[in-house]
Amino acid sequence: MVTRRALVGSGIAAGAATPWLGLRASPAAAGGTGVTDDEIVLGMSAAFSGPSRGLGIELYRGATAYFKEANGQGGVNGRRVALKIYDDGYQPDPCVKNTMTLMLEDQVFLLFGYVGTPTVTRVLPMLKKFQDRSMFLFFPFTGAQPQREPPYGAFAFNLRASYAQETGGLVDNFVNIGRRRIAVFYQADAYGRSGWAGVRAALRRHGETIAGEATYRRGSKFTSVMRRQVEILKKADPQAVICIGAYAACGAFARDAVDLGLRVPIANLSFVGSENMLKLLTEGRPPEESARYTDLLVNSQVVPSYEDTSIPVVTEYRELMARHDPVPPAELVTEDYTPFPHSFVSLEGFLDAKLMVEVLRRLGDNPSREGLEAAVFTVRDVDLGLGERVSFAPDRRQGLERVYYTVVEEGRFVLLDDWQSRFSLGV
Amino acid sequence: MKIKRLFQKTLFGIIAVFGLIGLSTSILAVRTVNDHLSDEYISNSQNIAKTIADSSVDILLNRDLATLQSLIDQFLGIQGIKYIYITNESGEYMAHTFVPGIPEEILAGDPQNTETVNRSLPGIGDCVEVGSPILAGVAGTVHVGMDRGLINLKIQRAIGQQAWLIGVAFIIGVGAAIWFVNLAANPIGQVLAYAATLAGSTTQPVASGEEVLARKDEAGDLARLFQFFARPASERGDAAPDASPQDKAPS
Repeated sequence: MVTRRALVGSGIAAGAATPWLGLRASPAAAGGTGVTDDEIVLGMSAAFSGPSRGLGIELYRGATAYFKEANGQGGVNGRRVALKIYDDGYQPDPCVKNTMTLMLEDQVFLLFGYVGTPTVTRVLPMLKKFQDRSMFLFFPFTGAQPQREPPYGAFAFNLRASYAQETGGLVDNFVNIGRRRIAVFYQADAYGRSGWAGVRAALRRHGETIAGEATYRRGSKFTSVMRRQVEILKKADPQAVICIGAYAACGAFARDAVDLGLRVPIANLSFVGSENMLKLLTEGRPPEESARYTDLLVNSQVVPSYEDTSIPVVTEYRELMARHDPVPPAELVTEDYTPFPHSFVSLEGFLDAKLMVEVLRRLGDNPSREGLEAAVFTVRDVDLGLGERVSFAPDRRQGLERVYYTVVEEGRFVLLDDWQSRFSLGV
Repeated sequence: MKIKRLFQKTLFGIIAVFGLIGLSTSILAVRTVNDHLSDEYISNSQNIAKTIADSSVDILLNRDLATLQSLIDQFLGIQGIKYIYITNESGEYMAHTFVPGIPEEILAGDPQNTETVNRSLPGIGDCVEVGSPILAGVAGTVHVGMDRGLINLKIQRAIGQQAWLIGVAFIIGVGAAIWFVNLAANPIGQVLAYAATLAGSTTQPVASGEEVLARKDEAGDLARLFQFFARPASERGDAAPDASPQDKAPS
């Protein structure tokens, strides 16, 4: 297992050995367009610090594994792909500041792999403000609606399914097995509200309303006590709880729910960071106790299981992750973090990077921001090795639609194939 | 500094009147500051609520709730704002900033009420809540809870400054009053000591009376009168010593 010290150390080594790495990208060389004769610079602001740092780090790792491979094979039309990265700690204000720097000072070619709804929703108006620069945001790690709808949808391209699809699927499945009283535990910000709205809309379709709701503050740690939230939801007597949050807070909620006797299925969205959450709930506990905290979890995912090697892109992902074992630059990783060899988040980052490279290839030998949108719209029925084909069009700015549901078995997340047997009311 | 008994009541009277004036001024000032700050605070809160209401129309009608939440989260950064919640035309809570949940008191209230309400919420504190209708109320209502503690703090600061000023003025005033009273009381003491000497008192120190006899004021006149009456009748002559010219009655 790679420790933080090892991670930091290898980050320095990687930075020195591979000059294409983001922090070495030169804005002056980019000449104001983010493209030079041998480099295309992408800008990324994500959480590399704070309680949600695992999301930014894993997304970066997955994306970098593919970019490294592509660069090793000659890059995109002879140009290497470089990432200019900043840490925003999953906080909106630093993210806005980073974006200003990326757009106005670093003058990157495009924005890529942003993490989070509260951060992205604050950045979208900036893209509109600077629309004359044709700056686009590609494949943010959020399923929220603002970057999928007017007036900002025109400035972003999404790969993953939306939170509305994730929450809709969870609600449908719960209702189908008779669990109609659904409560929501959510982060008190735009992300939480986005998921809350998704649950509300899905329940409406079934003639139901949200049975109860409780919130937590963004940035809450696993050590936070969620007793009051659990008590609020217990009063609502829910048959299932859907959590819209990040792994530390959702892990704390799941722990306290079990401890306080709220024994109902607890669902989490893909953003939660399933492996990090599982680690928090099981680390240092005997198997029986770990199972008690995790057997009622059901997490929706927007990528397939990284264990399913029958899927070609999963095999490719596992191979490239092993080959490159990417680590973020040491300057950004200032807190303890042990990366996972494989995770849903890094697999998503990998897919983002794979499609990004495909789009950049379609720009031809003289890539320009003005040509980006047209290049994306040429992506039709592209197979990333996923089984689900990806298409974009002016009225379709989201590549994938499918949502997967996973549960914990023997200490890892596996696909859930039978909701009835696992979560029916009698079980 | 010993105050002559004759003037003690006068001094206490001055202090009492001064205290009364200070107290009434302070009460008036506190009320004025309280009313003024509260009015200003509520007015600012209403402006904020109206701004959010105006900004929310388009979002509520055309866009998603994440954007609405993002909007109110930004307003929450303004000093003094404790909470914001937005209800739709049906009274449903569409976005709010409460953690861990919407307080019972608010849930029990009228979500479309736009009157100013004072609330004391567990975990939040004392607040003044103002409301503003969205699209004349047909699209919902914005509610903003402002920290009452902040107003109280400002009032306490204003009272503190007022009390400090009055306290300093009071101390200076009392000191000055004592000094002036003693200034007036000192010659009387000299007259008293001189009169006692003339009377042959053994309890008072012997006073020559030179200083008080030389005075041109009422104390000097009184001392000279005592001196006159202390002489044997054969030495007095026909007339008492002159009083000061200013004290002579008009003829």
